[in-house]
This record gives sequence, C-alpha cells and structure tokens, in this order.
Amino acid sequence: MNNGPMLFLGLFASMAISWVTFVLGPMAQLGNLQQARTVAPLPASYPNNPPGLAEQGAEVYRACGCTYCHTRQVRPAGSGADLAHGWGVRRSVAHDYIFERTVMLGTQRIGPDLANAGLRMDATAVLARLWDPRIVNKLDSAHSIMPSYRYLFDVRKAGSAPFADVLGVPAEFAPPAGYEIVPRPAARALAAYMAASRQEPYLFEAPPPPGTVVVTNAPANGTNAPSAGTNAPGNGTNAPSGGTNAPGASAPPTSSNAANPHSAFRVENETAKNAKNAEKESPFLSALYAFSADKSAIRNPQSAIGETNQ
Amino acid sequence: MDSVTEAPAPTAVSAPVSRTELEASGAGPLLCLFGGAALWLLLASLFALLDSLKLHAPGLLGSSPMWTYGRVHAAADTALIYGFGVPSALGVGLWLLCRLGGTRFAGPGVAAAGALGWNAAVAAGVWAILRGGGTGYEVFEMPGAVAPLLLVSYVLIGICGLMTFRQREPGPLYPSQWFVIGAFLWFAWIFSTAALVLLGSPPRGVLQAAVNWWYEHNLDTVFFGFAGLAPVFYFIPKLSGRPLHSSYQAALAFWMLALAGSWGGIFEGAPLPGWMVAVSLVGTVLTVVPIAAVASNLYLTAGGALAAADGGPVFRFTCAGLIFWVVAGAQQVAGALPSVARLTDFTWFTTAQRDLFRNGFLAMTMFGAIYYIVPRLADAKCATPDRLWNRKLARLHFGLMLAGVALGYVALLVAGVFQGVELQNPANSFTAVMKGTMMGLRLSTLEPLFLFFGAVVFLINFALLMKGRLARCRRDRSVVRGLAKEGA
Repeated sequence: MNNGPMLFLGLFASMAISWVTFVLGPMAQLGNLQQARTVAPLPASYPNNPPGLAEQGAEVYRACGCTYCHTRQVRPAGSGADLAHGWGVRRSVAHDYIFERTVMLGTQRIGPDLANAGLRMDATAVLARLWDPRIVNKLDSAHSIMPSYRYLFDVRKAGSAPFADVLGVPAEFAPPAGYEIVPRPAARALAAYMAASRQEPYLFEAPPPPGTVVVTNAPANGTNAPSAGTNAPGNGTNAPSGGTNAPGASAPPTSSNAANPHSAFRVENETAKNAKNAEKESPFLSALYAFSADKSAIRNPQSAIGETNQ
Repeated sequence: MDSVTEAPAPTAVSAPVSRTELEASGAGPLLCLFGGAALWLLLASLFALLDSLKLHAPGLLGSSPMWTYGRVHAAADTALIYGFGVPSALGVGLWLLCRLGGTRFAGPGVAAAGALGWNAAVAAGVWAILRGGGTGYEVFEMPGAVAPLLLVSYVLIGICGLMTFRQREPGPLYPSQWFVIGAFLWFAWIFSTAALVLLGSPPRGVLQAAVNWWYEHNLDTVFFGFAGLAPVFYFIPKLSGRPLHSSYQAALAFWMLALAGSWGGIFEGAPLPGWMVAVSLVGTVLTVVPIAAVASNLYLTAGGALAAADGGPVFRFTCAGLIFWVVAGAQQVAGALPSVARLTDFTWFTTAQRDLFRNGFLAMTMFGAIYYIVPRLADAKCATPDRLWNRKLARLHFGLMLAGVALGYVALLVAGVFQGVELQNPANSFTAVMKGTMMGLRLSTLEPLFLFFGAVVFLINFALLMKGRLARCRRDRSVVRGLAKEGA
C-alpha cells in the first residue's frame, strides 16, 4: 500500500459499500412506505395523520431533548421485556412512523418507552407528570428521577385564567394558596403528542398474538362496523365501549378484543389502574379541561374529520 | 512488499526542509485547533457534569428551559464530538502528515481560517441546541443553518491535509498515514451524507433513525477509530524505540475497520428491516479482527521495551488510550450479540461503552499526541521540547483522566448490567430498577468532574507553555533589534 490512488480507491469502495447497504438500500425498500391495512381489531387504514396539535407537540419533544431519556420503540417479545412491561401491545414497525416529521426512536431508557404513551396516559395525566413527575401513580413514580418541566407552565393568580385551562394537582405539589397552574401552549402540544402516541392496531408485520379473535369486514358486532371499518384507526373503541368516550373518563378506550384474556392484557389493566389512581389522587378537572375536544378527536377520528370540515 | 516496518524516521538530513522549519510551518492552525479543542473539552465536561447532577437532583435549574436535561445532554455531546473530537483529530492528523511526509504544512492560512470557522459554527450550534433548536438526531444535533459553515470549514482544513499529503516525499507510506487519510475522507463522506439526508430532505419514517445510527456508528468506530489509532501507530513504535512489528497486520486492521466497522449501529429489535439488524451484527462482530490485529501488533512492537520506555505523558496517554480502545471495542462486539443485546440495549451499558470510547480512547490518544506536538510547535528551536511542559501538571492531568474514565466506566457498566437484567423481570417496576442504579450513577458523576479538572489542569499547563513561548519570542526580537543597532 504505497500508492496514494490505491488508498483512495479502496477507501472509497469501502465507504460506498457501507453507504449502499445502510443508506440507499433501506431507502429503496422503505422510502415510499404507504398506509397499511390493519389486520385486527378492525380492518382499517393505518397510520393516520396525527392531529395538528400533536405535530406541534413532536417539535416540543424534540426541542426539550426528551429522546435522551425515552425511547419510542417497542421491541418484539424475543428481544427484551418491553411488551411484558406493558409498553405496548405489539412490537413497533416501520409503518408506525411514516407520518412523523422527525423520527426520534431514542437509544437510552432513563425513563420508560413512550411509543404507546397514549395507551397509558391521557393528556391531563401527561401535564401533571410534566409539572411534577412524582405526582401521578405515586406507588410507581414517587422516586422518579425525571426533571420537572415547570417552564412549560405559568403559575398565575387564581381566577386570572379561565377555569377550564387550570391544571389541578394534589395539594402537596400545588403552588401557594391563591395561585394556580396554567399549562402553556407548548405543554398542551406535548401532552397531545403523548396522548396520540399509540401503536395499537395489528398489522401484517406485527400480527396479533395467536388466539386473538380477528374481526373482519363482516358486520359481526352491529350496524356501525362497515363504516367504522373503513376509517377508524382500528383502535376498536367504537364497538363495545360507547360509555368510555365521555371526555371525563381518563381511561383510554378498552380494546374490542378484551374478551380474549391473552390479548391486550396488561396494558389495559395498567391503564385502568393508572386511571383509577389518577382520579383518586388528584382532583383533575379533566371533564372541563380544554383538551377534551382533542382527546375525543384522537379516539374517534370521524368526529375530528367532521369538525374540521365544518 | 514494501519495507514499511521500520520505525517512522525523521526526515533525512538532506531533505530540502529542515526539521525546525517543518515543525513551525503549521504552528498557527494547529495551536488554534488544539487550544480550541481543550476549551471545548472543558465546556463539554461542564455540561456533562450538570447533566449527571440532574439525575440526582431533578429539580436543579428546573425552571429554565435552556438547562433542561435533554438540551444539556445534546450540548455536551456536541461540544465533545465537534468541539473537541473533530478539531483535535484534524490537528493531530495534519501534524502527522507533515512529519511523516517530511514536508511543510500546505496552506496554514487556509487551515487557520477553517479552524476559526469550524469553532464559530460549533459555538453557534451549541447555542442553538441550548435554545431548543436541536435537530433531534443524536450526535447530529446542530441545526441545518450551521451545517454549511461546518462543511466549508471542514473542507478548508481537509484540503490542506490532502495538499500536504500530496507534496510528501516519495517513498512507502507509513500506517499512520493511511489512518489519517482514511479519517479525513470518512468524516467528509458521512457528515455530508447525514447533512444532505437528515437536514436536506429527511426521508420517510424510520429511515431517519437508520441514517442517524449509521452516522453515529461510523463517526465513532471508523472516523474516531482511524483518527485515534494514527498517533498510536506512530508513538508506540517511536517511544519504545522499536520498528512496527508487522505492516501486514496494520493493513488488515485498517481495511477491516473500514469495511466491517462501517456496518453497524442498528439495534436488535428496532422497527427496521430484519436484514439491517443482521448485517449490522455481522459487521460489528467482524471488528474483532482489527481489534485483535492492532492489539497483537502493537504489543509485539513494544513488548519488553515497555518497561524501558520513558513514563512521559505522551507514552502514558497513548497506551491508556489504546487499552481503552480494545476494551470499548470488545464491549461493543459483546453488546451486539443478540443474547446480550436484548438485555443491555437502551441501558447504561451502551452509555458506558460510548463514554469509554470518547473520553477514554479518543480524548486520551489525542492528549498523548498533543503533549508531543504542542511544545514542538511552540518552540521549534528548543533542544528538549518535552521539558516545556510542567511535568507535575501533566502527571496530574493523566491521573485525573484515568481515574475519571475508569471509575465512570465501571460504575455505568455495573449499573447497565443491573438495569438490563432486572428489567427482564416484568414484576420489577421501571422506577424501582432505576432507583437500584442510583449508586452507579452517583459514582459516574465523578467522571465529568474529573475530566473537568483534568481539562483545567491541561489548560493551565498549555497557558504556561504559551507564556514561555511569548517571552522567548520577545527576547529573541530584542536580541535581533540589539544586533541590528550594533550593526548600524
């Protein structure tokens, strides 16, 4: 190796091999990935464009560097215990990210995975955690080492902001008497992003666990199946749980395959538990909270589409 | 085959450029690169220290968005990699090209302009990150607005390097020269690819993560690997006074690092095509070859001469850096194996490896070279340039860095293995597991603290040396003036 040109050529060839393998190849394979059809619980297009507020929230997530403590990727059952910890109902796949402007999968977990934050928390619970991560679900997070993001909130004299904008927290975390916490727009956007983070429907490459009842286009559970099937993001809320759509309930929707004990399982138990704790521990004014509109939009995209069309 | 195996010889007596002239020709840009690098290392360790403290006191500076954990972390990475790592690698590489090519530095003015532009761009980038303008891509956080300035500055310095390489004296190339040229080209390729793909027109979905991870892996394993091994291959034969054991093994290590080291960085179970994970695994495991080749080659080179070699800072830093490279590389291979990766991915284990690579291998090999180069730049006429350093301060610097890196590494490694194993049991809540790693985290806070003090000590030493240089310059000038007067 005495000669300069050979050195350059060899380096260029090695570089080109690596570049073709890791940049060009995947681009040819995934560069034009389109929406997929879900295989369960209902056939539908997935993913859907996130709500605008959630897109703004992704920018807040990026700017605050949330990705340095939280991953947004759930590994399959064979690689790590992500699913067993209830961080998702299935593994994450490339389809889950096609509408994200900046994809921040993250490489370290100082906090839990957030790919499915929306399955565990609603926007109000996220806001409370941002104000002080040691509030919610005290049993688990009393010793959380997450910093509090108080700069995302205003503390104002009580009564200066509309009641619906105020974040309610337990007394020990509250500002001094006569003051109240009002989330800033950035906080709301971030909370909406988290609430919209749900990699829920099963896809061809991320199939439901064996034994799950797969609902096909056949109108098995009533009249709204065909119409819901075409457009709902497959979160299965429309079918059995009409009651939970009320904006006051903090519980995320139960999945339609809840009948199967092996299917959506831990996550539901956890979320139900979280929701109960949240309700017990803090007088969240979720029913009045300004977010309720967004929440229902996430749950039921048809109503969101209806609203934007008006 | 050529007989490259002889120790890097100083330029022949008959060379048209005298050694003194040769050493002094690049003083401006090189001192600029090294001085800036040391300042950035100081800042980087300060950021890392603040970040580490925030893990124990989550409320610390909590009301200020600028000093939030994520931003400070990105700023610390950026300051370390782009503020310290790249400029010091370029400086050491340029000097090696001069020394080994037996030639004068080509275009010192251009390189100095590049160095200033680079430092200004990094400063702007770090400021933008602290203001919330980071890109969200790890180790590629500086916003698109500063990327053109970074690229232009890099090209200015890189061209000087290539020109210097071109005007080398005819003769066989020494392995360090391959490594330097490889590093110079590699960074240009990966950085421009990342800038065009991630900042220019971000691809759809997870491809961004794939490119980001590919960039980070290439930056560490290949670019910093080449840049750090170049001075190791130069100084270990030189200081132990024996020729390099085998240039074949060096070539094997070089090409395997270029081929296999550039395949990797994709995490097991990531939402990417399965073949990418597999190819990444194969590439990472194959880096065993260069690790073994370099370790055996340099061990057989230095061998018994190790004990006889002088214990100066150059030798200590270089040897420690090489050992850390071997350990970090072996850990990277082990951590890529699927049975280990599913435990240790996303835990402190990975952080321990990265920190060891950057603070242990890269920073220490760079300092080893800097301790050799700077006095020769500062005072080309001095007969015993190594004496220009304050030896006590140099020893203190080495002790602080060694203790900090080793302590932080062991603490984070243990914490990472604990975290990975405990998280396998879904009955353990995440917060409880993290609480269990707190002892490791507390210990690891000492690493940035020691690195910070180390950087302070180095800067004091650097300042003393430069002060001495200025004094000598002034004295020389007055002598010249006196002679001129006498002549008149």
